[in-house]
Amino acid sequence: MDINFRKIDIDVYDEDAIHESEIYEADPRDPGQVLNEAKQKQSGVRALLARNDVAGALKTVLEGAPFGPGADEAKSITLQTLLTILNSTKSTDISGAIKQLTQDDHDTLMKYLYKGMAMPGWGDISGSVLLGWHEKLTEIAGTGCIVRTMTDRRIV
Amino acid sequence: MSNVLRPYLAAVRSTLTAALTLENFSSQVVERHNKPEVETRGSKEVLLNPLTISRNENERVLIEPSVNSIRLSIKIKQADEIERILCHQFTRFMMQRAESFIVLRRKPVSGYDISFLITNTHTETMLKHKIVDFIIQFMEEVDKEISEMKLSLNARARIVAESYLTAVSSGF
Amino acid sequence: MAPEVSSLAQTPVTAHAFSPDRTQLAASLNSNGVQIFSRSGADWIPSETLSEHDKLITSIDWAPNTNRIVTASQDRNAYVWQETPDLETGKLIWKPTLVVLRINRAATYVRWSPKEDKFAVASGARAICICSFDSENNWWVSKQLKKPIRSTVLSVDWHPNNVLLAAGSADMKARVFSAYIKEVDERPAPSVWGSKLPFNTLCGEYSSPSGGWVHSVGFSPSGDVLAFVSHDSSINVVYPGGPTVYSVRMPTLPLVTLAWLSENSLVAAGHDCQPLVFLGSEGGWQLGGSLDDTSGPKTEAARPMGSSPVVGRLKAGAFATFRDADSRGQSTLGSGSGSSTTDTKLLTLHQNTITSVRPYEHDGVQVTKVSTTGVDGMLVVWDANDVTTGGINTLTGKVGGMQLR
Repeated sequence: MDINFRKIDIDVYDEDAIHESEIYEADPRDPGQVLNEAKQKQSGVRALLARNDVAGALKTVLEGAPFGPGADEAKSITLQTLLTILNSTKSTDISGAIKQLTQDDHDTLMKYLYKGMAMPGWGDISGSVLLGWHEKLTEIAGTGCIVRTMTDRRIV
Repeated sequence: MSNVLRPYLAAVRSTLTAALTLENFSSQVVERHNKPEVETRGSKEVLLNPLTISRNENERVLIEPSVNSIRLSIKIKQADEIERILCHQFTRFMMQRAESFIVLRRKPVSGYDISFLITNTHTETMLKHKIVDFIIQFMEEVDKEISEMKLSLNARARIVAESYLTAVSSGF
Repeated sequence: MAPEVSSLAQTPVTAHAFSPDRTQLAASLNSNGVQIFSRSGADWIPSETLSEHDKLITSIDWAPNTNRIVTASQDRNAYVWQETPDLETGKLIWKPTLVVLRINRAATYVRWSPKEDKFAVASGARAICICSFDSENNWWVSKQLKKPIRSTVLSVDWHPNNVLLAAGSADMKARVFSAYIKEVDERPAPSVWGSKLPFNTLCGEYSSPSGGWVHSVGFSPSGDVLAFVSHDSSINVVYPGGPTVYSVRMPTLPLVTLAWLSENSLVAAGHDCQPLVFLGSEGGWQLGGSLDDTSGPKTEAARPMGSSPVVGRLKAGAFATFRDADSRGQSTLGSGSGSSTTDTKLLTLHQNTITSVRPYEHDGVQVTKVSTTGVDGMLVVWDANDVTTGGINTLTGKVGGMQLR
């Protein structure tokens, strides 16, 4: 006897139930445009890093970061760009750079730190670098920042 | 070791503190039931984004928060075959006695070695920061425990071998 | 003035409401009975238990003018309790009246309307029941607000005009509805929220920038401003004219309950175990301070982050353990020195999450005292003017009003 009917999730057919797409407002930007922006930022960040402007580089990459489904390539480029900044910053400069960021940037940075930690071994992710940044960011932006990473459905 | 471990545990601690903001929440799916939403996964909107904290590929913690419960899973460092066996035996021993640990889950989430399930009832009856301390202490101790067991296992093997071989050599 | 602290129980207090003259208190001690307490000096003595519900009571409200209690529970029911003389003894006892809610999930929150001729019951059935009295059958009948609610409604609050209702729900939205019932209400005067308001008109829908369940909503005393707290550790104040939403993001844990003090101040509390006062106006909102004088570092600062200082001895310790176990058959495994030495007591008065904050005393101009209860089973009455800023400066250096739209 086929008992696969037990595996059908009938609750998704409840018309009152909330759908994934209703949980957050979708990114109004076109995926292609987002991808282009991410690529442009990559070179912009290199220039800023050459001038040793960590905060400026962070701001550039964190503002208008891609989110939502369908922007996977832009997301990984952004993560890659961000990792170059994180890895090249001296641990003594971290706090100073974080303090220059806005609250929005803090929240986005926290999202990327967790994203990076969720995929160890990808690219040049180093656990200890991310943990170092996480500690400094939590000191400055508080646990509220972590709570927002959990609640915000605009996943980076 | 402590210097490398510290930021990792600090990150787990702050994330766990942020996740342990639970409330009593009655099921929206089943009438008159009250279940840990992180396990039933019946309504998407009451689940929050899961967060991972990792030191490297072999040591990581997954925290899955929801409105009335959180699930915390730990992947314990296992460098070689002996550590793998010890870790398996150790976590199995614990999980078979899960009810005495209250917050321990009987089965780990796939990809991890041991899982904890903390519900709003736990945060109501126990002090929240003590639960956090317990988990952190567990993480500290488990590495220590396994390396200690490995050491004593090796030592025991050596002594057994030694006394066996002494008997053999004195025979000649 | 120092806050009045009394410990009601060892269990969480899920809801509390004071009698109109503040000599009695109705509270649910994480159970299916409503416990009535009577004041005796500084203590609260349990006097009566109202038992009709068979699951956890989620919310209680005591009508100040008509002296009726309404209770909501996870057993999907609500009851209105009225003090009536007992037929035999003539003693006043609380008698329940049936409420026909017609919901199939838990009732989560209940509030009397300002005129006390209606009440609203929030529920997990993705609906809000607006109940009015049907004298023919001697019960309360309900009419449901359903659209466009997509998840459990966590809290409601009435507009002073007795018609508009704000609701916060787990689908991350705070909404303003019209709960106009033809048989009960007079036609309301136009307000900032709209002019023509048939039942179930959606007058506004707001959410916090980072999402998060809306735990609590509240209209300002004039009804022209709406505040809500959501699970992303933020408090949001809505001026519907613009619409302008001010969002104050906290560096601390989420707030879950709020009460307005005056048109320009409100108090909110939650997982940080202390009531915080927020001040502002149409120009912006910010954190004013805390009612709890923790006189010293905050709880988070007091707790050492990370691990204990004893980790350094790990190697020597492990070797010693092994040597003992090996040579002398002694096992010290598991008795390893306890790490993370922390104090058991938090520096705040409440030792666990505050789940409810309500106005306690009003001097005609503004609320002067508020009462809070929480998961730790304590009831605290705070002087709302006694705001300290010392304890929170370290934490909230970055808190500031932020305009969104």
